[in-house]
Amino acid sequence: MTSVNAQIKRGSAELAVLTLLAEHPLHGYEIAKQIEAQTGGVLCFDMASLYPMLHRLERKNWVKAEWKTLSNGRRRRCYRLTPSGRKQIAPLRAEWRAFFQALERVTGFQNA
Amino acid sequence: MPDWKQIVRKNLRVLRACSPELTEELAAHLEDSYEALLCEGMSPEVAFQRAMGPIEGRRRVWLVMRFLKEELMTRFIREAALPALLTSAAACFFHWALALDHVRSSVIWLVGGQLPLWWWCLLPIFGALGALLSRRKRGSRAQRIAASLVPSAIMGILILLLFAIGFTLSGLVNHFGSVSARVESLGVGPPGFVVIPAFFSLMGAGIAEVSTKKFGRLT
Repeated sequence: MTSVNAQIKRGSAELAVLTLLAEHPLHGYEIAKQIEAQTGGVLCFDMASLYPMLHRLERKNWVKAEWKTLSNGRRRRCYRLTPSGRKQIAPLRAEWRAFFQALERVTGFQNA
Repeated sequence: MPDWKQIVRKNLRVLRACSPELTEELAAHLEDSYEALLCEGMSPEVAFQRAMGPIEGRRRVWLVMRFLKEELMTRFIREAALPALLTSAAACFFHWALALDHVRSSVIWLVGGQLPLWWWCLLPIFGALGALLSRRKRGSRAQRIAASLVPSAIMGILILLLFAIGFTLSGLVNHFGSVSARVESLGVGPPGFVVIPAFFSLMGAGIAEVSTKKFGRLT
């Protein structure tokens, strides 16, 4: 499994979470598991990185959290994307695309 | 089944200052993690040890540091420090502006009285400004009061420092007279710059508090 630098992880984490939440609301554990599964374990969140980030996104009003009672009777704090958060996805994607294209031009990593 | 809320409360006691919801949220995460490990076929003991990993040892320290940095520092800055800074800047700016020769002469010519009096009269506005800014960021009552009182607190600290320096310089001989003279020569009088402004700022914060409670629009 490839290990990814922490700085890159941090920068990409917001985009990954917002993209995931664009599909449907999820609670913290589900977010962590789904990102881990979808990236084959390259991006994996622990509690120390996931929740501060979710709370930061909440403060920015990009996501909104609310307690929901699941079918098994347990309460979970579910995060859903706000309209303002939805608007952030396209610029963030463009930013990352530009970053990878620039990196590709320098390193030619796609053809490597 | 382990009581995850209790475990989180015990292991991450310091995080209770962040938000009461945080404990429950982290406990829910650990509970899900524990159950997923059980589903993978681990024994309850091993699953418990694995689930506890993020809140034990070095990882616990890291977790607490991250939360304190993100939650408390950010909240403190938003809810108290920034409003306080803006309030102080506004109060200092108006004090400086009023002290300008042409402004001072105009103000005294127009409305008479003493200049500090007019500055004090402006202070409830800054006190209210600090309290309202803090309130908008969901600051607690203590933070709202702190935000409005910071200009006076800063002056108080400066005056105490001046006294301390004065004591050192005068070698504790005739210190009161020399320090007072030094402080007065700088145009700084403790009651005029600390106690009275604090009272006026607090009055502004009180007015803001009462009016926001009554009209409830500014929150």
